[in-house]
Amino acid sequence: MLAIEHLGYRYPQAAQAALDDVSLRVERGSVLGLLGPNGAGKTTLISHLAGLLPVQQGQILIDGQPLAAVRAATPTRIAVAPQEYAFYPMLSVAENLACFASAGRLGGALKRERIAECLAFAQLERYNATRAEQLSGGLKRRLNLAIALLPRPELLLFDEPTVGVDPQSRAFILDAIRTLAQHGTAVIYTSHYMEEIEALADHVVILDRGRMLCAGSLEELLAQDQVVMTLVADGIAPEALHTLLSQHGTVVATHGAQGTQLSVRLAERPAQVLAALDAAGAQVHHAHFGRGNLEQLFMSLTQRSLRD
Amino acid sequence: MLAALIRKELLALLRDPHGLAALFVLPVAFIVIMSLALKDYYSPPQRSLAYAVQASDSGELAGSLLQSWQARHGAPVALPVDWQQQLREGRLKYVLQLMPGLSDELALPSLPTTARIHLLAEPGLDGNLYQSLSAELSGLAGELKARTALAATDAPKPPPGASMQALVQAERYGSAGPRPSAVQQNVPAWLVFGMFFVVASLAGLVVEERSSGTLARLHSLGVPHGVLIASKALPYLGVNAVQAVLMLLVGVYLMPWLGGDALSLAHVHWGALCMVLASISLAAVGLSLALACAVRTHAQAAAIGPIANVLMAAVGGIMVPKFVMPAQMQRLAEWSPMNWGLEALLSVVLRGSGVAGALPHVWRLAAFAALMFAIAVLLFRRPLR
Repeated sequence: MLAIEHLGYRYPQAAQAALDDVSLRVERGSVLGLLGPNGAGKTTLISHLAGLLPVQQGQILIDGQPLAAVRAATPTRIAVAPQEYAFYPMLSVAENLACFASAGRLGGALKRERIAECLAFAQLERYNATRAEQLSGGLKRRLNLAIALLPRPELLLFDEPTVGVDPQSRAFILDAIRTLAQHGTAVIYTSHYMEEIEALADHVVILDRGRMLCAGSLEELLAQDQVVMTLVADGIAPEALHTLLSQHGTVVATHGAQGTQLSVRLAERPAQVLAALDAAGAQVHHAHFGRGNLEQLFMSLTQRSLRD
Repeated sequence: MLAALIRKELLALLRDPHGLAALFVLPVAFIVIMSLALKDYYSPPQRSLAYAVQASDSGELAGSLLQSWQARHGAPVALPVDWQQQLREGRLKYVLQLMPGLSDELALPSLPTTARIHLLAEPGLDGNLYQSLSAELSGLAGELKARTALAATDAPKPPPGASMQALVQAERYGSAGPRPSAVQQNVPAWLVFGMFFVVASLAGLVVEERSSGTLARLHSLGVPHGVLIASKALPYLGVNAVQAVLMLLVGVYLMPWLGGDALSLAHVHWGALCMVLASISLAAVGLSLALACAVRTHAQAAAIGPIANVLMAAVGGIMVPKFVMPAQMQRLAEWSPMNWGLEALLSVVLRGSGVAGALPHVWRLAAFAALMFAIAVLLFRRPLR
């Protein structure tokens, strides 16, 4: 449904491109997980799809038609559920839905029908007359979702839709998005919560500094990854442990429940590493061995340096 | 689509008590307070000023002068022992000292060279009032001297009512317009101020829409720029219309009820008044939109709009009438759009002008409004993320 080809964008006066040669595809009924640290270019990409930024380089196609032409004819085929509470806090839930339904060119019986459907989908019927500013964080997220669904979009973009909500609301939102995809909507989902992406996404794209680092199905990406050994050990100085492990692969440090852990992307068999540790006098308290998860893949691709 | 967005704008405004207070209560309060405070500015209360007389001349002509003064200013209070103290503190507004030799001086057929009447005014007495009392005393003394001189000649006796005052006829020239009063000045002034105050509400809402991503969502839904701008401009043009009706009603009905003068609209050209109000409203809403699109944060919106308004009002003759400003400040006032609006309204409400008389100001306001709307459209088109 959506095809982005070699998309590039540079903001005025910016030294570096916000997007550089980004290509991806999203099909109807599938969920694309879009990952990237802050400043990776996710918001710029979403802004393009929402029609807020012009295409400078490359092209964006919807069913083979240029995005600009599709948006000019039917802007509501693509909807964004932004990270912010993008509605009017002083209006009630019903008034917000009515306002955005009219803005999306819905009228008459269809408007009433869609408002009722979206209220039901987001389970907001009880809060129909409540002012949006009085809703809890989870209810606000659901209202954000309900507004995005009003014009029955074919492509939905969710920008970190579960920030600041309780586990129940998060589960509800994830289920709702899964349901939308099962009913044929194409979904792009950005989040910093890797487990959400793992639970939802059929395909994953990792962006950093405007460039695509990898793309593919979750299985493909994790299968490409090298075997990772994660361990906690003492009886050896941390620097010496790091140096020793470096001889067997690429080392990254992570913080887990048991303190600082070292993970090594193995270039050889685990038994050889454990034998080397034993020979060096290290006592291994905990060791985990296997394919990496999405977070490990993400961290190894984007490196650990802070971005803000 | 436009109707729904206008409805949203009006609901947002109606549910913002602070914004409503700034738009409606503030200008009404200014009209009431300033009209009552400046009630006597156009007709100074000379009769009601407390004064005393220290007469050191008991001659006939000094007595005549005092009699004439009392006929105009009422009876004096008895000269208190501590009259200097009372004068310093303003409890006595002025004291007339009739010095020895006054009657003789008034009887002489020559011009005086020595002061025989002292007017001692309290330090805070209004300058115009002070000048007027002094001039009136000179006039009275001159009249007495002239009468005495005439009586000593063979000239026929003057007819009853004859006086030097009959020589001068003073009137405020303003075709058939109403009598100038504090209300007649203050209603137009604070109405203009209130109409320009839409900037605070409008800018706040636009910043809120931009920062919350609501504006981006509306763009994303394909709402055209023109519809978005119209959905903001039209409700506030309506707000301005309600403000105008309310302020005029306050002037016509509330002010006399509170003891002030009534605003007179008896000789007003209604077409000209509507044209002037529409041009002020367009200028105010245009400026509000341009500022709303220019500011980026709530802090900027909360500060820049009101500051710009107060500065334009101070410079433009809203807070201090332009005619009391020195020439340089008057020239500066002519750069304030609020002054164009005020002058246009005064020309209709105070000077009885029709459409042609108000047009020069209306053109300036219309050009300003067009410029502001153009800036707003340009700023509105800036990319959103």
